[in-house]
Parts: sequence; C-alpha cells; structure tokens
Amino acid sequence: MTTSLINSRSSQHADAAYLHVPFCVHRCGYCDFTLISGRDELIDVYLEALEIELSSLQSPRPMQTLFLGGGTPSHLSLSQLSRLFDLLDHWLPTTSESEFSLEANPLDLSWEKLDLFAARGVNRISLGVQTFNDDLLKVLERDHSGTQALEAIQRTRSFVDNLSIDLIFGVPGQSLDLWQQTLDLAIAAQPLHISTYGLTIEKGTSFWIRREKGMLSPLTPELEREMYGRVMDCLSAAKFEQYELSNFARPGFACRHNIGYWTGRSFYGFGPGAAQYLDGCRELNHRSVTHWLKRVQSGRSPISERESLNDEDRARELAVLNLRQIAGIDCCEFEERTGFDVHLLAGETITRFLRRGWLEATDSHVRLTREGRFVADTIVAEFL
Amino acid sequence: MNPQFIRNFSIIAHIDHGKSTLADQLLLKTGAITQREFKEQILDDLDVERERGITVKARTVAIPYQQDGIKYELNLIDTPGHVDFHYEVSRSLAACEGALLVVDAFQGVQAQTVANAYAAINNDLVIIPVLNKIDLPVVRIDEVLEEVESILGLDISDVLKVSAKKGIGIEEVFRAIVAKIPPPKGKPEEPLRALVFDSKYDGYRGVLTYVRVMDGTIRKGQKIRFLKAKIDVDVIDMGQFRPHMTACEELGPGQVGYLVTGQKELGLVHVGDTVANPQQLPSAPLPGYQVPQQMVFCGMYPIEATDFEKLREELQKLSMNDASFSFIAETSEALGFGFRCGFLGMLHMEIVQQRLEKEFEIDLIQTAPNVTYEILTRNDEVLVIDNPQRVPDSGQIKEFREPIVRVNFILATEAIGPIMQLCAERRGIYKSTEYLGPKRAQLVYELPLAEVIYDMYDKLKSITRGYGTMDYEIIGFSPADLVKMDILVKGNRVDALSTIVHRSNSDRRGRALAKRLKEEISKHQFEIAIQAAIGAKIIARETISALRKNVTAKCYGGDITRKRKLWAKQKEGKKRMKQFGEVEIPQKAFLSVLDANKDD
Repeated sequence: MTTSLINSRSSQHADAAYLHVPFCVHRCGYCDFTLISGRDELIDVYLEALEIELSSLQSPRPMQTLFLGGGTPSHLSLSQLSRLFDLLDHWLPTTSESEFSLEANPLDLSWEKLDLFAARGVNRISLGVQTFNDDLLKVLERDHSGTQALEAIQRTRSFVDNLSIDLIFGVPGQSLDLWQQTLDLAIAAQPLHISTYGLTIEKGTSFWIRREKGMLSPLTPELEREMYGRVMDCLSAAKFEQYELSNFARPGFACRHNIGYWTGRSFYGFGPGAAQYLDGCRELNHRSVTHWLKRVQSGRSPISERESLNDEDRARELAVLNLRQIAGIDCCEFEERTGFDVHLLAGETITRFLRRGWLEATDSHVRLTREGRFVADTIVAEFL
Repeated sequence: MNPQFIRNFSIIAHIDHGKSTLADQLLLKTGAITQREFKEQILDDLDVERERGITVKARTVAIPYQQDGIKYELNLIDTPGHVDFHYEVSRSLAACEGALLVVDAFQGVQAQTVANAYAAINNDLVIIPVLNKIDLPVVRIDEVLEEVESILGLDISDVLKVSAKKGIGIEEVFRAIVAKIPPPKGKPEEPLRALVFDSKYDGYRGVLTYVRVMDGTIRKGQKIRFLKAKIDVDVIDMGQFRPHMTACEELGPGQVGYLVTGQKELGLVHVGDTVANPQQLPSAPLPGYQVPQQMVFCGMYPIEATDFEKLREELQKLSMNDASFSFIAETSEALGFGFRCGFLGMLHMEIVQQRLEKEFEIDLIQTAPNVTYEILTRNDEVLVIDNPQRVPDSGQIKEFREPIVRVNFILATEAIGPIMQLCAERRGIYKSTEYLGPKRAQLVYELPLAEVIYDMYDKLKSITRGYGTMDYEIIGFSPADLVKMDILVKGNRVDALSTIVHRSNSDRRGRALAKRLKEEISKHQFEIAIQAAIGAKIIARETISALRKNVTAKCYGGDITRKRKLWAKQKEGKKRMKQFGEVEIPQKAFLSVLDANKDD
C-alpha cells in the first residue's frame, strides 16, 4: 500500500478512540494480542511513531470516550506515561465528562503511577486480575499473586473510583469451587465493574501448542457452563447488572467505550493492531509492532486490512453486536440505523430461536434469554 | 496421406515417470507447438488433472515430422496414467501400433509400468522402452535395465536413454518411432472402418467424435453411419489436433482426428463404435471395447433440491466426455432426490465430484462409496447391488458375493512382511512373490476389492515410505459372509449411511462409525443417540450430549472483523447439512463411513 498516513485518515470525526500500548514484561500463555515483551527500548520509538500517527488527525478531536488498552499501558515508566498523556492532551483531549479508561497490571500500580493517572484525567482503570488463586495464576503465567491483586485494588481505589476487574474462567485445573472463591473475593473487593471471560485457546499461543501435545486439558463444556451460570447468579445477587455477555456493572458504570462497539459507533484506532471504524469502514493496523513502527516512521499508512461492508452485511453485523448486549436489538433504532427491519432480515432465524427458548422478543426488542447467553456464538452466527 | 508414412503410438508410464514431459518435448522439437505456446504438460488440459499431475482423458495430437527428406505424420494418442483408468488406457492402445514405455531411470519398473506394458503387449503393440530422467544425479541405469528385461521380458539391447526435461535423446526417440513402429495396415480403397475411441461435448459444435481410421477414407461432407448406434449423419466438419483443432478435408487409413456431425443429443455416440460409409458397408464392424467395469458407486445429492435438474444435465455432459462414468436417478429418505453414480475407482470418483463442484457450482452431498456386490437369492436370481439400500432381507439371500481383485505390489524386500500382514488383516489370499533383484520384489495377492480401494494405496505408501507401488485387476466375485449395517440417528434409520461389511468386522466397524459420527454431528439442543445395527440387533451406540454452552469470549473493536468471519464460516459449514428429522447431519458425516472402514 502506498497510501500516505495523512490521506488514509477519513474525513469523519469520531468522539471515541482506542489506543494500543503493546508492551508487556512477559507474554502470558493464553494471550494472542498484539504485544511485544522484553523490548522496552522500543517504547520511546513507539511514542515517537504514535505522535506521527496521531498528527494524521491534523486537528485535535475531543473525546467522549478514550481507551488505552494493551499489552500493558501501565508498564510504561512515569516519564514515558507523561509523554503519552501530553500527546493525548493535545490530539485526543478529554474532559471530566469523558470516560478515560486504562488497562493495568496489578504489579505496575505504584502510588506514583496511580497519582499520575488520576492527575492526567484517567477516570476508569481496568485491572487484569484473572483469578485470585495463586496456582491458577501460575497456570496462566501471570506475574502477580492473588494477594498482590487485592492490594492493587485497594490502592487504586484511593485514586480512581471507577475500577473494573477482569476475570477468566475455564482455566485448566480450575474447579467450580475455585471459581466461586475468586468470584466471592472479587465481589468483596467492591469494584464498580467486573468482566468475566471464558478462556479461549487461540492459535499461535503456547496454550494452543501445549493442548495439541496433550499437555493441557481444557475443561468440559458442562463445567464451563456451570461456571458461567455461577457468574450470572452471583453477580446479580451482588447488585451487578449484566449489560453484555462478559460484562457486569453497578448501575451507571457500564463501560461507555465498549458499548460503542456493540452499538456500531465510530471510533479511531491508534497503535499496532488497533482497529478503527469510520464512515462504515473498518480498518486494522498492522499487528506486528516493528512493522507498524517502520510504516509510520516512513510516513506510510500503517493499515493492513480495510473492509467496507455492503448495507445488508453491515446491518447483519450490527444485529450480531447488538445481541451481545443483554438489552439486545432495539428494533426501531436498528431500522433507523441500518434501514432494515430486523424481523425481515432474520425472521426465520428469530422464530426458530424463539421456539427453542434461546431468544425472546418484546414489542421493541429482540434479545438473548438467559439460556441463550450460554450458546450465544451458535445463535449470532445465524444472523450473518 | 500414404499410410506408409504414418505412425500411431502412445506413451505409457507409471505416474510421474515423465510421460507428459516427453510428449511436450516431441511437440516442441517438431515445431507442432512453438516455444511461446509451450506450456508445461500441455496435454493435461483439465484443471483437476493439472492439479494432480495426471492425465485422465485420452488426448490425441498429430505431429508432422521430417526425417531424411521424408514427411511423416506421427499420431500421439495420450493415455491416462492412474490405476483407475485402465479402461481408457486400453482404448487408446487399440488405436495404436506401438507404444513408448517410459521408465524412470532411478525409480525403475513400478506397478503401473507393468500393468501398462502388459496392456500394450495384449494389444500386439510394438514396445519401445525409454529410460527417462538420465540427467538426475542419482540413477540406477543397469539395475533398471535388468528390471525391464526380467519383469517385462523386453529387449534392452538398444533401450533409449533420454531426459525429457532437458531435451536429451529426443531425436533418437523419433528415429525409433519411425524405424520400429509399423505403419498402419489399412488400405484407402477398402470400405471405411474407423474406430471411435473418444468423444467430447463442445458447447459450440455439439458432439465431437474422435476416430482412428482403420480402413478406407472419411471425407468432409459425406454421410457416415455409426454401426452400433445405427444412425446416419453427415460429416459437417473434420480435422486433426496439431495440437490445436485444425480442419482437414479427409482422413485416410491410420489417421487420427475428430468429426463434427452436428449432433446435439447426448449419448448417441458410443466409444468403441465403428464409423462406416452407409453406401459401402464393411463386412464386419471393429471389435470395439469391453464395457468398462465400474466398481465404485456413490450417491450424489444436490443440497438444494432445486439443483436436481441442473445436476442431471451436468452429469449428462460429464458422461458424454467420460464413457467410464455412469449415473442413474435414485431417491433416499434422508437425502431426497439424487443420483447413484458409478466410477472406475476412487480417484475417478474424486475427480468427477471436484469437477461438478468447481465447474458447475453445485453443492453436493456425497455418500460414502461402495463397491458392487452380487446377491444370489433363494429364487436363484442374481441381483447386482450397487447401493447398500438395495440389499434384500437376509432371509432372501442364498449367497452374498463380493468382487475380488488380483493386486500386484512392487516394493522393497523389507516391506514384504508388513504388507503381507496388512493383506492378511484384509482377508487377502497370498499368491506369489517374485524377486526382481536383491532389493526389490513383486508380491501378488487376491483381496476383496472393498478392502483395497479405500486406503490400501495410502497404507502401502506409508509402509514403503512412498516407494512401493500397486496395481490391481478385477478377477471375479466370490461368496463371503457379508451383512448390511444400518445407522440410526435419534432412532431413525438414515438410509444413506447404510453400508455392507464383513460379519467378522461388523462390531469393530459399527463402533468406529458410531464414534466418527459422534465427532461429525455437532451438538444440538437435545441428546442424540447414534446406533449401528444389523437387522434389529444394535451392535454399537454413542450419545451426543445436548449443546448447552459454547465459548463466550470477548468481542471488542479489534475483534469484530475476525469474529464475524469466524461465525460466517461456521454458518457456511451449516449450508452443507441435511436436516434429518430434528437432526442436522453435515456432508462430511456421510463420508465418515469411509473413515470407519479404515483401520484405526
């Protein structure tokens, strides 16, 4: 591609952005994200490149939601973080009304860093806890203990109220009891938001290779089902509202940025592997950190894939994304956004799953039932 | 053209010994094609063939050649190179007086070298042995020559040594063709007799008939009669392949070419028929060919019922170009309306299926292939069974017979033990071992065809690390203790999954099949029992538990495209399913019968 960086930027303005910080101390065995570990000398070059990529915006874009994900954004040093925040202040300014999220690793959250985050406008921290059980943390190849995670939660809360913790279930060796213990500890720690993910073993990870060699045995789907059922029961009892398949929040604390993804909102993407969605066109930056660096430094577009769906496919995709939300598809809004009546677009599918008890329909919405949430992948595929 | 200056020949070889490359060289050297036109393996023009490096259909090309001031016409009639296509080989050979037998100078004589050489000998052809690939760094010229002499009984005193790839020794090949292969015997003034050795349907010209003139002359515009089909038509146009279609006014004795007769109707031209002049009929037709033995059958069903007529048309077109392929409409409770198709072997089946899907864009469900069986009933009637669903009640069966083949293996001596063991497990009867040298041997067994076609070739390749070869011919039917095994999915018998097995294997195969089906059929909202049964007796059972959970992974901005593609693929997979009662059975499940037939 010979597109220059500047020209590649679409004319549409978005008020949401995702920025990917691809650095980690170590790649965990299950992780297939864009990241580079043990190459901290690249961080400064990365920040330089990020400045170039951001400047393709040509003018600052005020943000409603800004999300720093990784990798591990909290892995950067204080001075590197300051530099990053300077860039963001200029190009993607946020206000106290905005939601400014940052993903963090428990061991990184020193008082100094937390202080800096709060001072620079970060008002939501998403903490990668995964589990509080030390044996399972070793299986996952995390570098912290359960106790350290709890301490990090307490420390964070002195600076940022809106704290979310990420948990993983379905870890090899995890029993239903161990999962319950982690859930109990998570609830007791009183975060405002909890995300729970079923472990998936992706190609290209060491988990994948170990499973192929029979060195890692995944849990049975039956046990995973019980674990997911347990999440929904416990968190709703603890007054968390489930608003998406994997996401639970105290009222008013659902992640606005992520909701944008499921409602088809436009957003910018910066950094290696980041996606952006503008004018109905989805673009994906090169996943290789060094490749992204080279392209940006030489003034070329870092985009590796670009996809513009036709109206119908875009509508179908939106239906799928909407369905991941517990509220489901708002039929009126859907038709307004896409021009398609969802009952005409997928009537047969809807009827079939209504009969199976996996979907329910009200006057205004089509959504997954509780039973449907267990088999969401099977259901949403039929809408495509 | 004076027949004295015509030579008709084939090139025969084991697969990959360089047959097509040699053919290309002959064309290139004589300028029949220019360097610009030269494409590798120009004679293999079907996609599927090119992909697999094999020739399926017989091709023909007239090569103009000049030697010592005399102009010759060399007609190369190409032959297929795979074990499945014996029939087409013999067809091509019947149109020739000689054959170049190409043998790889390193690999030596292989199973199809032997089979092809015998076919040529049976057709009274002059065989010219050609040692190919002599440019390779490692060759075994002396040993290979010894094999040619001892196994094939051919004179090796003046064997040609060539490299078709590098163009070495090609002139000597031409000289040998002219010197050793006899010119055709027919006379131009005798009553016309031309052998139909192939036919092809061309969208613009209708039916093209490939003929080799044996006696007399065919002229453009004349009336001809197909003796067997008993129809008279006009020769609207005619010509030769040089290698592109080149019109001509007449074809005399020994010449090879095509006829355009304006026929649009499929199925009227029979390969093996004799073309004659209705005004001057010959005393007897040409002997023609044996009817091809279709030994492998399978059901082909369109996934969309509306594609049935389209499928019929395409099958008709295919059978027009391939006399060894047959089809007949059938119905299955499970799959609806479709066709039972007959093939020469497994490769032939795969090729037809691929062509249907690729060229005609019809999504198919194919049932597992089976061989032909014979059943002698209590009323002493012999039923030919090409579909397991047709097996009558066991009470009516006096004798259940299966086809037996004589299998000829050529392999390294150390592989004899493992292959003998494999054959014993497959109910084989040992016939003979012959040593071809200190390290190589020919092993002969009689085996049930059903035990050979599915995976014997793969097993042989793996046991011999790719160096063993095999070939087989049908020798007849013999009685065996065979039974029909049914499959019940959620209590319903799925007729398309029925199979015929030997009683001694039935338990093992029933269990293996139930297990494979459990893997292939995805979970539903309810539990699904899969049972294997012989008559009313259940011999194996597996249960697919109800679907109650699939992964709930994250889906954020960067995941959307990848996830959507994944889901779309998942949905695409479902298109290839057949709804059977409440259960969706994927296309692959119908073929799992095949896997269950293999040893674990």
